Amino acid sequence: MTSHMQDDAMSLLLDSNLARHADTVRVKAARTRRNKRGAALSVTANDQVSVIGSMDARPTTFAAPPAATTEGIATDDFHQRVGNLTRVLHDALRELGYDKELAVTREHLPDARDRLAYIARVTGEAAEKVLNAVDHARSVQSELVQHGASLRLRWQAVRTYATGAGVERATPAGRKLVDETCEFFAGLDGPADRTQAILTDIMMAQDFHDLTGQVIRKVVALAQNMEEQLLRLLIDSTPPEQRKKVESEKLAGPIVNAAGRDDVVTDQAQVDDLLASLGF
Amino acid sequence: MSTDARFLIVDDFSTMRRIVRNLLKEIGFVNAEEAEDGQIALNMLKSTKFDFVVSDINMPNMNGFELLKNIRSDDALKGLPVLMVTAEAKKEDIVAAAQGGASGYIVKPFTKATLEEKVQKILQKATA
Repeated sequence: MTSHMQDDAMSLLLDSNLARHADTVRVKAARTRRNKRGAALSVTANDQVSVIGSMDARPTTFAAPPAATTEGIATDDFHQRVGNLTRVLHDALRELGYDKELAVTREHLPDARDRLAYIARVTGEAAEKVLNAVDHARSVQSELVQHGASLRLRWQAVRTYATGAGVERATPAGRKLVDETCEFFAGLDGPADRTQAILTDIMMAQDFHDLTGQVIRKVVALAQNMEEQLLRLLIDSTPPEQRKKVESEKLAGPIVNAAGRDDVVTDQAQVDDLLASLGF
Repeated sequence: MSTDARFLIVDDFSTMRRIVRNLLKEIGFVNAEEAEDGQIALNMLKSTKFDFVVSDINMPNMNGFELLKNIRSDDALKGLPVLMVTAEAKKEDIVAAAQGGASGYIVKPFTKATLEEKVQKILQKATA
């Protein structure tokens, strides 16, 4: 009975965001039941009576009343069953020590969100830098093409002068140089067009920022939703006297959100100021 | 419609706005302005004359569908060509855009050739 109630509670109370975690809870709960032969998680009839009383006194977030009765079950009975299942779940989480694990998980979620936002920001800045470089390269390329076109006209005039009217005014070597120079300038348009096409490809490749940014935005929203639900679950499953905040373990890596923190620097100027204040 | 046509590019990602703007420039349309979301775009459309709108769908404040709805329900704007350029490749979104009166729909990532083809096709239709 207890096992069914716990499983039912999991199914009823955890939405899809928590499903994976619920699987872990089930597995560990089953393991604990085997190890402790059910003693730790058993719920007696008396427990349930007291549970009902306490639920009436302190309704949980999860026991939201349904809009209508379900297949003949009276609304009061339905509420009572949901209340029972909720309490069993809360007790199970506490007895298994999962309230602490949930707390740690919940503490890490904001950090995960910040890291995702950091990725979005840094990749966005990188994309902008590439676009700036592409614009600059295009400008330089355009100047080269214009200059080349101008020189081509002048060298063509030289060629005409050198060989015009049947009069050879250049040495064979000079004539060859003039011809090669004219051919070079005449052939500039092809490579210039190819370079422009390559620059366009580089520019288009930066759309990854938009695409990945949208995915990151969705994941961040998902993480926020999960965090809120975990927080609710924690509040309901943890006795008030044990609700001290679990110290979050900070992960190694760059500071992704320096706002409101006085223990980090945000640019090299602050590093230099700090070093100067230390006498360096 | 000549290459003097004035474009409004609506996207919450500055990178994409810049890419579309540069592509339009390469195609020959140099008159383009940008808006970060549908609400800003709608305000700009009501205060300034534009000939063509290139809009994303997923945006804060007012998304592309809402912008399209507002454009089509405004007597002064309802004839404006609106090309949706979005990462949403779901059929229901494409259908919704078509039913909402979009002039065209491009899924990201796209190529310069695709954008050019759609823009030219829409402009030809608009001037026919």
